Amino acid sequence: MTERKRSRLFARAAAPALAAALAWASAARGAEPALLLRPAESPLVTLRILFGAGAASDPKGKEGAAALTAAMLSGGGSRRMSYDDILDSFFPMAAGVSAQIDKEMTVFVGTTHVENLDAYYGIVRGMLLEPGWREDDFARLKDRALNYLRVQLRANNEEELGKEYLYLKIYENHPYGHENTGTVRSLEAMTLEDVKAFYKANYRRGNLTIGLSGGYPAGFPERVRSDFAALEDGAPEKPALPEPKTPGKLRVHIVEKDTRSTLISLGFPIEVNRGHSDWPALKTAQSYFGQHRSSKSLLYRRIRQIRGMNYGDYAYIEYFPRGMFLTEPEPNLGRRQQIFQIWIRPVVPENGLFALKTALYELDKLIREGISEEDFKATAAFLSKYVNLLTQTQSGALGYALDAGYYGLPDFNGWIKQRIAALTADAVNRAVRKHLRATGLDAVIITKDAQAMRRMLETGARAKPLYASPPPDDVVAEDKIIGAYKLDIESVSVTPAETIFER
Amino acid sequence: MKAHRAAALACAVSLLAESCGTGPADAPPIFPYAHEVHDFANGLRLVAVDSGYPDIVSLYIAVNVGSRNEVEPGRSGFAHLFEHMMFRGTEKNPPEAWQAAMEAAGASTNAYTSDDRTVYHATFAKEDLESILALEADRFQNLEYSEETFKTETRAVLSEYNKNFANPFRKLDEGLRAAVFTTHTYRHTTMGFIEDVENMPAMYDYGLQFFDRYYRPEYTTIIVAGDVDFGAARAMVEKHWGQWERGGYRADIPVEPPPAEAKRVELDFQAPTLPLLAVSFLGPAYDDATIDSAAMDVISFHAFDENSTLYKKLVIEEQKVDAVMPSYPDHRDPYPFAVIARVKDAADIGYVEEQIMETFEGLKNTPVPADELEAVKSHLRYRFALAMDSTEAIADTLAHYLSLRRDPETVNKRYALYARVTPGDIQAMARKYFTDSARTVAVLTHRPGGKGNADD
Repeated sequence: MTERKRSRLFARAAAPALAAALAWASAARGAEPALLLRPAESPLVTLRILFGAGAASDPKGKEGAAALTAAMLSGGGSRRMSYDDILDSFFPMAAGVSAQIDKEMTVFVGTTHVENLDAYYGIVRGMLLEPGWREDDFARLKDRALNYLRVQLRANNEEELGKEYLYLKIYENHPYGHENTGTVRSLEAMTLEDVKAFYKANYRRGNLTIGLSGGYPAGFPERVRSDFAALEDGAPEKPALPEPKTPGKLRVHIVEKDTRSTLISLGFPIEVNRGHSDWPALKTAQSYFGQHRSSKSLLYRRIRQIRGMNYGDYAYIEYFPRGMFLTEPEPNLGRRQQIFQIWIRPVVPENGLFALKTALYELDKLIREGISEEDFKATAAFLSKYVNLLTQTQSGALGYALDAGYYGLPDFNGWIKQRIAALTADAVNRAVRKHLRATGLDAVIITKDAQAMRRMLETGARAKPLYASPPPDDVVAEDKIIGAYKLDIESVSVTPAETIFER
Repeated sequence: MKAHRAAALACAVSLLAESCGTGPADAPPIFPYAHEVHDFANGLRLVAVDSGYPDIVSLYIAVNVGSRNEVEPGRSGFAHLFEHMMFRGTEKNPPEAWQAAMEAAGASTNAYTSDDRTVYHATFAKEDLESILALEADRFQNLEYSEETFKTETRAVLSEYNKNFANPFRKLDEGLRAAVFTTHTYRHTTMGFIEDVENMPAMYDYGLQFFDRYYRPEYTTIIVAGDVDFGAARAMVEKHWGQWERGGYRADIPVEPPPAEAKRVELDFQAPTLPLLAVSFLGPAYDDATIDSAAMDVISFHAFDENSTLYKKLVIEEQKVDAVMPSYPDHRDPYPFAVIARVKDAADIGYVEEQIMETFEGLKNTPVPADELEAVKSHLRYRFALAMDSTEAIADTLAHYLSLRRDPETVNKRYALYARVTPGDIQAMARKYFTDSARTVAVLTHRPGGKGNADD
C-alpha cells in the first residue's frame, strides 16, 4: 500500500506528516530573502510570493496605493514585455499570476505545469522585479479599481458591502480604516509616481517570503532566491496599530439601498489572532456557533433551519472576504488585529429586526451558558479532521504554511490538532466569556426603508417574525423571548449606499 | 487495469503530445486517473476513482435532474428547491443526526443544482466512507418531511433568490434566456421565475411527486474519488444502495424549434451598474462524438478569451470595456454561445457590439492561423491538468461530465475532439451557428430614476 502510494506521480505529498517534515523555512539570510519550501511529487509547481505589507501601509491620502501597486505588477506589463505579450505567453500554458491584497500582506500566486516552469517563472520574475510602470496600464487598472468600489462593491454585491462597511466603522481613524482598494477620492488623485514609491518602500528583501511547492527541479529555489535578492534591502517599518475604539453599547449603521432584502453584519474587535494562546479555544467556539457555510452552525440552525428566515448565518474570528463565493477561507490574509463577526444573510425586511435580535440573543446565550460537553466534543472532533480539507490543495497547504510563519506557529495542521486535543469545554467557555460580548458592538444593516428600520430600533419595538407556516410551540415560545430582547442602543445612523467609499 | 494505469500516468504527466506517441492522434487520455465503472442491477452507476491524493475521499452523488426537467408551468425552480428539501432528514436520521454524522467525519458538505443536474457532495476522511455512504443512501431512499417543514424551507429559497438580486449578471442571464428560448425549459434559470419561487409554499404535493419521479437509481451516479479501494467501494454501495427501487418516469423535455429571427432585449437594472452587453447565438448541445460543440469551445477561447485580439483591443488598448468574456457552458441540449462585455460608458455599447459582431463575421471568412489554434489546444490541455489539484476537484470535474454522458470516458473523447479541430472546422461551425436568425442581443443598463423593470 505504502509502496504503491509512493510511486504515484500525481500524489500531492507522500503523507501529511512527511510533507511537514519536508517543508522548511529559512529566514532572510543577509542579502537574500526568506524561502519556504514544500517539495512534493507533483507535475504542478505553485509559487506564493508573500510581502509583509498591504493596505495598512497606504500613506495618508494615498489609500489604495498598496492594492494598485499589486494590480500593476500582476495585471500590467514588465519592462521587457507589454501586458499583451504577457497574456500571449501565459495563454498556451493556461497559467497566470494573481495578486491578493490585505491590510498587512500582499501575495502573488501562480501555478504552472512543471513542463512550463522555466518560461513561466521567467515572465513572473520580470513582472515582480522589473515592472513596466506604463501609463496606459495604470489608467486601465485605476479605472478598474474605481469601478470596483463604485459599482461592483457598492451596488452589485450587497453582502460584501455590508461586511466591508462594518470593518470601516470598527476601524475608523485606524490604519485598517479604509477598504483595501482605497477610496474614490484617493484613487482619483493617485499617480503612477505614488505607486512606484509604494513599491520602492514596501517590496523589500526583508519583508519577503518566497513560498514554493510541488515538483520543482533541484536548484530552482536557490535561483528564485538569488533573483529576488535584487530588491531593496531591509524591511519597511510595520504601521503602529492603535487599539480600535469600541462603542459602549450597540451602534447601528443603516445603509439605505434599493434592495429586496435586509442584510446584517455585526461585530467587535478581539485581541485574539492566530498567534494568541486562546485562538484554538475561540476557533472551536466559532466553529460551533457559526461554521462558515455549514448547516452545523448554531446560528444557521436557529435562524435558517428552524425558522426558514434566510439562506445562512455564520460567525468569524478572522477576516474572510468573498465568503459568498467561497466555502473555505483563502490563506495569506494574516492580520495582527481581528474582529469577531456575525453574518446574517438576506432576510425579508419584515424580519430584519427579529433576525438581529436572534443573533444577539444566541450570542448572549452562548456567553452565559457556554458550550455543552457534548457539543464541545463534536466540534473538536470535526475541527481536527476538517483542517485537512483546508490544506488539501498544494497552493492551500503552502499558504497555510506561510501564515503559520507569520503568526509564529509551527506547521498549522499538526499544531491545531494538538491544541484542540488538549482543550476542554471549560477552556472554550472561559475564552468565550473573556473575549466575546453581546453589547458594545457595531451592526451594519442594509435595507430599502431606512427610516422604518430606524424607527423600529429607536422605539424599542418588539420584533415578531413572519413565517411561511406556523412554527412549533417551543419556537413560538422562544420567539416571544427574542422579540422582547432589549437592544442596548447607543446610536443609529443612516447612510445612502452611494456615498460609501467616496472618501 | 494496473498496466493501463501506469502507462496513462507516465504519459499524462507530460502534456506535450510528442513525448508520448507520435502526435495528437496518439495523445494520452487527458483523464489520467485509474477508475472503475460499475452498474448495479437497479440501474445505479458507481464511478470509483483513485486520485492518488492520500487520506481523503470525496463522495459526489449526481442526479440527472435539473431545471431542465421543470416542464410543467408554474414549477420553475423546483429542482433547486428539492435539493434544499434533501437536507430535511429521514425517520432514522433526522437533520440533527445527519449533521452529527457529517460533523464526526470532519466533512465539508454541500449541494448544488444547475440546468442539467443536482449534485450532493461531501469530502472527508477515508475511514468514514462506509458510514457516510449509508447515511446518504438513507436520505436518497427514505426522505421524509412535513408540510410545515416544506413551507419553511421555501422561504430559505426565496432568500437565496433575494441575495442574488443585487447581481446584474443574474438579471442578464434571466433576460437572455427568456429571449432565446420560446419552448425549452432553459428559458428559466435554475432559481426559477420569481413568481414561481414566491408560490413555492403551495407546492408540497408536487414535491412528493418530484422525489418519486427523479430520485431513482437510474437517474443517479455515485462518484467515490480519492484514497479508495475499488472492490471495497463496490461492496459498500451494493450493501447500502442495492435495494433502492428503480423508477419508470421519463420527462418529456420540449424541443426548442430552430430560431426564426434575430432578437434584441433591453433590460433596466434597479441599481447603478456598468452596462452589460451580451451577444449570443444558439449553439449546439454538448457532444463527444461530433466536432460541433468542441469546435465552438475552441472558438470561445480563441476569439473571446483574455489573449484574443478583441480583448486586447477593447480592454487593454482602447479601454472602453472593463471585461469581455465568452460563455458557452456544456449543456445537454442546445444552449447560447454568448460573449459578454462590461462596458464602461453606455455611449460605447453600439461600438462594442459592432466589434463583437465583426469578430463573429471574421471567424466565418478568415481561417484561424495554425499557431493560434495550437495555442488554444495547449491552453485546454494545461487548464485541465492545473484544475486537478485535489481529490475534490477531480470528483467535481467528473460530476460535470457524468451529468452529460454518464461515462467518464466522455472526458477523454471530448479532449480527443479538441485535438482534432482544424481551421476549416472553425469556419464551418461559425457559418453554421453564427447566423442572423440565431442571434439574440441583450443590453442591461441602469437608468437613473428608472425602477428596474420586471422585478418590481
